[in-house]
Amino acid sequence: MATAVARASVANGTKRKVDDLNDKSDGTALGPINLTLSDPEESDGEESSGGEEEPFPELDLGSDTEEDEEDEEYDSEDDIEGEEEEEDDEDEEDEDDEDDEATPESHPRAPKIVQSDITGFPKKVYPEIDAVYDSDSSTEEDPNRIGNVPLHWYDDLPHIGYDISGKRVMRPAKGDELDKFLSTVEDPTSWSTAVDKSTGAQVQLTPEELELIGRLARAENPDGDYDPYEPTVEWFTGPGKEMTMPLTSRPEPKSRFIPSKWEHKKVMKIVRAIRQGRITPHGPVTAAQQPQYYALWSTADEAEASRRPPPLPAPKVRLPTHSESYNPPKEYLPTDEERKEWEDMDPEDRPENYLPRSHDTLRHVPAYEDFVKERFDRQLDLYLAPRVRRVKLNIDPESLVPKLPSPKELRPFPVAQNVVFEHPGKARVRCVSWSMDGEWVATGDERGVVRCWEAEVGKCVWEGTFGDQPVGAVEWCPKYNFFLIAVSGALHLVIPPFLPPAQRAAAHTYCTSAFATPSAPVPDAPKWTSAKPLLADGHILTVSVPGNPKQLAWHAKGDYFASVAPDAAAKAVWIHQVTKHHSQSPFRKVKGTVQLVSFHPKQPHFFVATQKYVRQYDLVNQKLLRTLTPGLRWISSLSIHPSGEHLIVGSYDRKLAWFDLEMGTRPFRVLRYHSRALRSVAFSPAHPLFASASDDGTVQIFHATVFADLMTDPRIVPVKVLRGHEVREGLGVLGVRWHPRLSWCVSVGADGRAVLWAN
Amino acid sequence: MAKIQRRGKTGAAKMYMTRTHAVRKLQVSLADFRRLCILKGMYPVEPRSRKKANKGSTAPASFYHAKDIAYLAHEPVLRKLREHKAFAKKLARAIGRQEWFDAKSLEAQEPKYRLDHVIKERYPTFIDAVRDIDDALCLVHLFAMLPANDRIAPEVIENCARLAAEWQLYVMRTHALRKVFLSIKGIYFQAEVMGQSVTWLVPYMFTQHVPADVDFRIMLTFLELYQTLLGFVLFKLYTDENLVYPPPLDQTKDAAAAGVGAFTLKEAEAGLDIPIETPVQEAKGVSAKDVRKVLEGIEAPASTDGAPEEAQPESMAEEVDELPVEQPSKTIPALDGDVEMDDSLAPSAPSVNPSLFAPFIVYISREVTRPSFEFVLRSFGARVGWAPTLGSGSPYTEDDERITHVVMDRPQIPDGAIRTGRHYVQPQWVVDCVNKGRILPEGMYAPGQTLPPHLSPFVDDEKVREMGGYVPEEAGGEVEMADEEEEEEVLIGEDEADEEEEEELAEAPKAMAKPSKAAKSAKALPPALVAAAADPSDASLLRAAELEAEAGGVSFAAFQAQLKAEIRKAQKTAPVQQRKKEGKEEESMAKIMMTNKKRKLYEKMKYGNEKRKDETEKLERKKAALKKQEKRLQA
Repeated sequence: MATAVARASVANGTKRKVDDLNDKSDGTALGPINLTLSDPEESDGEESSGGEEEPFPELDLGSDTEEDEEDEEYDSEDDIEGEEEEEDDEDEEDEDDEDDEATPESHPRAPKIVQSDITGFPKKVYPEIDAVYDSDSSTEEDPNRIGNVPLHWYDDLPHIGYDISGKRVMRPAKGDELDKFLSTVEDPTSWSTAVDKSTGAQVQLTPEELELIGRLARAENPDGDYDPYEPTVEWFTGPGKEMTMPLTSRPEPKSRFIPSKWEHKKVMKIVRAIRQGRITPHGPVTAAQQPQYYALWSTADEAEASRRPPPLPAPKVRLPTHSESYNPPKEYLPTDEERKEWEDMDPEDRPENYLPRSHDTLRHVPAYEDFVKERFDRQLDLYLAPRVRRVKLNIDPESLVPKLPSPKELRPFPVAQNVVFEHPGKARVRCVSWSMDGEWVATGDERGVVRCWEAEVGKCVWEGTFGDQPVGAVEWCPKYNFFLIAVSGALHLVIPPFLPPAQRAAAHTYCTSAFATPSAPVPDAPKWTSAKPLLADGHILTVSVPGNPKQLAWHAKGDYFASVAPDAAAKAVWIHQVTKHHSQSPFRKVKGTVQLVSFHPKQPHFFVATQKYVRQYDLVNQKLLRTLTPGLRWISSLSIHPSGEHLIVGSYDRKLAWFDLEMGTRPFRVLRYHSRALRSVAFSPAHPLFASASDDGTVQIFHATVFADLMTDPRIVPVKVLRGHEVREGLGVLGVRWHPRLSWCVSVGADGRAVLWAN
Repeated sequence: MAKIQRRGKTGAAKMYMTRTHAVRKLQVSLADFRRLCILKGMYPVEPRSRKKANKGSTAPASFYHAKDIAYLAHEPVLRKLREHKAFAKKLARAIGRQEWFDAKSLEAQEPKYRLDHVIKERYPTFIDAVRDIDDALCLVHLFAMLPANDRIAPEVIENCARLAAEWQLYVMRTHALRKVFLSIKGIYFQAEVMGQSVTWLVPYMFTQHVPADVDFRIMLTFLELYQTLLGFVLFKLYTDENLVYPPPLDQTKDAAAAGVGAFTLKEAEAGLDIPIETPVQEAKGVSAKDVRKVLEGIEAPASTDGAPEEAQPESMAEEVDELPVEQPSKTIPALDGDVEMDDSLAPSAPSVNPSLFAPFIVYISREVTRPSFEFVLRSFGARVGWAPTLGSGSPYTEDDERITHVVMDRPQIPDGAIRTGRHYVQPQWVVDCVNKGRILPEGMYAPGQTLPPHLSPFVDDEKVREMGGYVPEEAGGEVEMADEEEEEEVLIGEDEADEEEEEELAEAPKAMAKPSKAAKSAKALPPALVAAAADPSDASLLRAAELEAEAGGVSFAAFQAQLKAEIRKAQKTAPVQQRKKEGKEEESMAKIMMTNKKRKLYEKMKYGNEKRKDETEKLERKKAALKKQEKRLQA
């Protein structure tokens, strides 16, 4: 009956609670409360197990339809719940009736045909089977069929699982926290309740269950009736139970009656060891016998100990200075700022680990807080700090400065501005050149204007505009008084008109004589034409060259000159001959971008500087002599000593490299003294001087003596820094050139000035 | 075929070993490895290239020489440590099984390592050991003062106290103490033993603050080593002095806080107990030797003055009579032998006079820390008594007539306590006398007096001055004083010059309404004006100066006057500046020709010198300010 009641309460939570209580009062159920709704299928099984032979021919069909029905019911669950309940109630009534009438085993239940409210078709409804008390399913079945899943999955749902027929098992009503608390206060039995996991309901534990729990907690046998101290039953021993016959007929061996030989040997071994004193009851005592301290450094074994060198002795702690005194002179006491500075400093950065303090008497001196800490730090230093032997140099730093002769002894060299050639419009002056006699200076600026100046006066005597592109180079011929101008795509030859007529005539003849005997035109070679559009007074002829020539270099004899246009790739370098109006490119292919070229002053050698290397070629034998590696990133300038045996190379990475060509391909000295890129370097043709011009706006003059003796290195002495140019837009002095005879130099800068420096 | 070179098999990769690698190789725990390193004196090394030494990795690691580690592998201590590990397991098992008898017998056999061979290895000669006992003495003196707790066993502290006392006894007996310095950290002592300067620091007698981040396992390992080292060193020192080591300790005296008095120095052969200082001995009369010794004691400072030594003894002998030595003198018999001993030890510094306080009987008042001052005084030959609160065993009571000096650290001498024939001095007097090597006048050090500054005896003033460091006036004497005065004069001179200029300026602009204001503004000269004056030809500078003057609200006339004055001044100083500039330029040009390495070294040295100079200048400035202030207070 209890199951039936429980079944009836499925639909209504409140009702079921009451029923549960009834169950308990009955005292029948031990374990989960059975809330199963019996199923037609189950009843089938039961019946078959019960041995009923009669089959249900309609079982398949009926079950199918019912399943369908059920599915539909789930689909439209919410709508028809009420009706379902009604149906259930009806069923129950029916069953009750049947129960009254007959035992369930004896009568198979016939399905009842009911018209489904949803589909409208008739459906079979089997009466529910009441699993009687002794049937398997009635006690074992778990009413909640969700399986072994955490119950909290259903936390947000109104139900806590499904019964066997797939209907939802609703969540039992649960009071709030206050109710729970009140129940603990009011209900004296609340301590013995537990939550049933499958139903979520509070279950009152029975005294039997409580006892069981208590036994388990005490680690006792859960069975209360179990007696662990039962008297043993002697099955095989005791009087009257002796076996009359032996198990084997073998006679007892002799060894069973005599003492063991091996045991005896083992014992005797120990006995001997004890007698000899090898075994003592408490281990060896030798260690303790040694005196604690003795004469360790006796003279005998001093030599023996020196197998391995002892570790480096630790450096001693620095001895305290006056400032550490408890009563130091007053000037050692820190001011407030010093104190603050010290406190703000990281403890590791502090020069001293204490602040000087003054105490008027010794009794006022407190304990030093960091004493233990300092000892500990010292110990950490002793075993954690790497030890390195360092030689302390105790020399005067001035002794490191090389002893050089005083600049006063090395005069003459330029020391001051003598003449300033002001260019109108402050155009950057790119290039400069002295005439062969040192009387004129030619400059070329960025607006394509070339000017000639009377050197000692500073007067502009001639001016010519050659296009609007910057003038790449201006070079005065070393033999006749005319000069070359390199502008974009062309080289112009100018015989300035202010010269004496005799000089002009000589130069004119020299330059134009080749027009009379024109050589066979070579394709791709620069063309020598007499100046058709006369760009300026004195403009004689034009040589068209590919690219944008940036440098011109005259051979010492004044017949050949070379031009470099770095942007013209393979046609970058051309060697021109004035007397024959002939040009040729000496290189078929050039490795790297050619920056600069130069002729050797005495030998038929040719220097070509790319970005990183300087190559020396023999023009007669047409072969590479040597490649110099200055170790610079970008060569900006190059100058050869008049003797031809030395070379200086300036670079944009602020360095100057001096090569002794006799010595090798590595520089003899690399100097770095300018703060910005070097723009130009130049050897003086007549004096042992050289100058370097830099973007930092200075010109540095060096005195460089080259000795004839091969064993003596050149002596380089910096003698003067010439300041006077302004730095404009990161550009300072752009070029420097020496007077052919005097120790004067002229420099041109981005500030639109050319300055003549004289001694 | 050439041998195949494999990576990490030669060079730095093989020569060095990281700590982790070493620990793995030795199969010890990190703690045991640390212990081994401390005991054996192993230290990490810095390889030339960390990357090469660490097989290409740049992860931070500390490196050891692989040979050092290979050497450690044969260490008997390492074997004992392993045995101890096994023992600890056995013991833990016995205890876990509650087998108490086994545990007890096991415990009796606990493997213990000895450090004798380690000491011998680390210090092959005795001198090496003496050279390295500074740290040992510091730590032992510190631990002698720490309270016992769960980390530090009372036996350890007891042993430390004992070692410290034995060391002090030795130093007192051989009169080896040379310098004492009262610092804010504690008291530094320097003794000369076997020709080596041994310096140690003793904290002031207060409870020590023990920070939480101090690892006592490390400290105790060091202490273990240091105790052994000190034990052997003291054994050798004592036996060389023909004394029994360890000196017997009188437990009852020790319990009554007799300090070093609880120990008895015993001659080895004689086997006679010769307490260093007992009232019994005072009954003996003055021997001729004593007098001579006293005389010697007084000679030494006189000789430092540079006077002829032959002339001194007579005059001093007369003084001796006046000195309060006529009481039955009680120079210790042991000391008689010591006189020669001292000579043989040959104190190097001429200023050191081991019997400086020999004529004196000094009474230590109760507010003075007795152990330190008793040690200092007795090292220099004084006989010392102390207040009963400072411990038992004082040979003199306060009422003793023979007491010549009382070391007292009170604001004033209590009423009725003053006795005639006694000098009352503050503790600093004792230390200053020791450091100066002569008896200083007591008046300056009387209780309540403002003490003269206490200077470190470890600073070689001459050397400091040579290096361009600061030497305080008190240490430098007259020379430094003169310097200071000169500087003062220079400063004053500059001030005067300034004033003159101001006057000039004030006179020049007659049209100005407030000449004083103009003078004030001129005091802080505008930079553009100075620049314009330095280069009068530059129009742009002039223009800038004019604009500046305009902005500053200076009238044109005033500006003109200022400019003129500035130009005049600039021209006056120009030749000098020119010369200076030229010199500088020459120097900077010469630097062009230096190699990179030398230039770097040069810059570094220059920086160091500059820093030292700054430091000196700062101190000099402070001193000048203090002097000025003092003068103002006097006026």
